[in-house]
This record gives sequence, C-alpha cells and structure tokens, in this order.
Amino acid sequence: MIRALVLSGLAVVAPLGAAAHQLVVFASVDCVAVSVEAKFSNGKVTQQGDVRILDGENNLLTTLQLQSDGTAQVPLDSVDHSGGLLIEVDTGSHDNYWIVTPEDIARKCGS
Amino acid sequence: MKRLFLTASLATLMAAAPAIAHYGMIIPNDPMIAQEDGRSVALTMSFSHPFEMDGMMLDTPVSFSVTHEGTTTDLLGSLRDATVMDEQGYTLDYPLERPGTYIFAMEPQPYWEPAEDAFIIHYTKTYVTAYGDDEGWDTELGLKTEIVPLSKPFGLWEHNVFQGIVKMDGEPVPYAEVEVEFFNDGAGATAPDELMITQTVKADAGGVFTYAAPSDGWWGFAALNTADYTLTEAASGQEKAVELGAVIWVHFEEWPGQ
Repeated sequence: MIRALVLSGLAVVAPLGAAAHQLVVFASVDCVAVSVEAKFSNGKVTQQGDVRILDGENNLLTTLQLQSDGTAQVPLDSVDHSGGLLIEVDTGSHDNYWIVTPEDIARKCGS
Repeated sequence: MKRLFLTASLATLMAAAPAIAHYGMIIPNDPMIAQEDGRSVALTMSFSHPFEMDGMMLDTPVSFSVTHEGTTTDLLGSLRDATVMDEQGYTLDYPLERPGTYIFAMEPQPYWEPAEDAFIIHYTKTYVTAYGDDEGWDTELGLKTEIVPLSKPFGLWEHNVFQGIVKMDGEPVPYAEVEVEFFNDGAGATAPDELMITQTVKADAGGVFTYAAPSDGWWGFAALNTADYTLTEAASGQEKAVELGAVIWVHFEEWPGQ
C-alpha cells in the first residue's frame, strides 16, 4: 500500500490502518544524514524492524535494520534524495512511514 | 414616573439575564497535525463570547508559551497582531519540529469587567498533537489555575465525554463550577434560551468534571474561581476581586458513521 504513495507535494494515500497501538515513525534531517526514529504509540521503543528507504519515484534504494533504541541513520550522500525520500519501517506486525521532502532537506541545509 | 418605571424594569431585566461567559481562546487550524498537513500549526488567539462570536480586546498577553516534551518555550515575541471577531487578537505560525503533544498556554493581562465589578484573568491553553504521536496529552503545566485533561483533549468524537480535573495552585478544586461554551464559528448554532448559550457543570469532590459535547467543533471549558488577592481598579482606586479562569479548548470530531 505504501508503494502507491506519491511523494510530490506530499500528496499521499490514506494513512495505514490503525492497530491497537500504532507505530509512530519520524525522520529528521540535516545536511549529513536522515535520522529515523520509531516507537509505539504507547511510548515503548520499537526494538527491531526493517527500515526501507525509497526515492521520490518509489524505487527502493536501501534497507537497514532498526537499532535496539528504535533509531536508524541514513547518510544523505548514500542515497539520491533529490526527489525526497520515503522512509518505511516494518516490524512484521506494524508498519508506518515518514516522508522527507526536498523542502525538508533544503530547510535544514539553509538553502 | 414613566421613565423611572422603564429604567427600573430594564434594571430588573439586566439583573435577571444570565451572565454571558468570557473566554480566552487559543484555536489552532487543526488539533491533530499529520505529516500530510505540513510542518507547522497556525494559531489564533482572542478574548470573546464564543457562542455569540462577540469579540473583546485582547491586550498583549503577560505570557504566551508552548510546552513540548517537558520543555517550555516563550513565544510572546512571536505573536502577530490580528483582528479576531472585530477586535484585537493575535496569530502565530509555529513550526512543529518533532512528533508529540504541544501545549500552547496564555496568561492574559487582567481584564476589568465593570458589569461584574471584578477583574478577569483566564489562563488559557489548548493541546495540539503532531505527526501521529499523542505522548504528553495529559501534561499538567503548573499554571496558577488549570484544567488537567483526563480525556485525551483531541481526537474525541462528537457526543464523547470530556473529563478534566480543575486545579488551583496544583490542588484539585472540589465542586468547582465549569462553564462550557461552543465556538460558533460558521456553525450557525442558535440557542432556544439564553441559559443554553453557556452550560454549567460542577466538579465532584475530587475536582473532576464531565461533559458530553452534542456536536463536533471547538468547545471551551472554563473553571472559574475567585482569587485570594485583589487588584486596584484604576478609575476608582478601589480594590476589586479577581476571577481566575482555567480555560481549555477541546475539539470534537464529526462521527463519520451512519
């Protein structure tokens, strides 16, 4: 379902179905890396899961593993981020996403 | 004689009419900001009779702040002048850098209300959640007087109940009186009786009150108590009572089912 997402202009499909406790995915960015954070809505840290990084055309760029503290780092120079990035986190039983837009990156890089 | 009678009748009518409730207001464009909504929230601050959409002047507040993840940030200098309900108010666009609950709070200057022979200070707040993370929804700010939510103060369906604890100086206020009023912005709601413009509930012995909103939209809850101090009214030089209001604004969502 996430793959149907269109990055441009944040015109996305409807959010994923809600579970009793949802997975909250967030990514912040600076000029060096994208910092991915995942936790459950009850506050518990997501200790494991796949982190898939897709480009603005919905192409899979790389897959990482969440660290035990619920974070992952994506060096910006390791991915083509010109069209923005879609960050998917999938624990097997829960999944969700965050979109890093080109504007997010530009704002943090001061350009 | 006739004039005297008319004057007396009007005075009687005015005394019998229910007091119109004043509300400090902090209204965001959306109480639940998703990533698709952008990266900021737009706030509008005012002082009004919200059911009647009757604005009053809101002087530059004493304080205006946001609290997120335990950190409070002063935003007073970021407020922009605006006209709200034909009176002085303020707006603010605030960037939401991280997920979680942001609590915006305002302490206004004391408002002299001759009709009540008292000053009014409404400590006003509203809760905004960002990016699907509701952590912090029950945060107590430690205001002079405050309604601490027992129901999550966003994401409520219409007809749900909202519960909160009325506190003064950090302690529950037994049997506190809470006035409830609908922000009638674009809703066109009418009241068949003036008594129904402002509804009133009382808290229990633990300061807990409950209210079920009859429709979606913004609802203001104002717990009113008299301060243990007075302020000097400039024109008369007399000491006057101070009404302390703990105000929280809560949005109820339209039920989409049949």
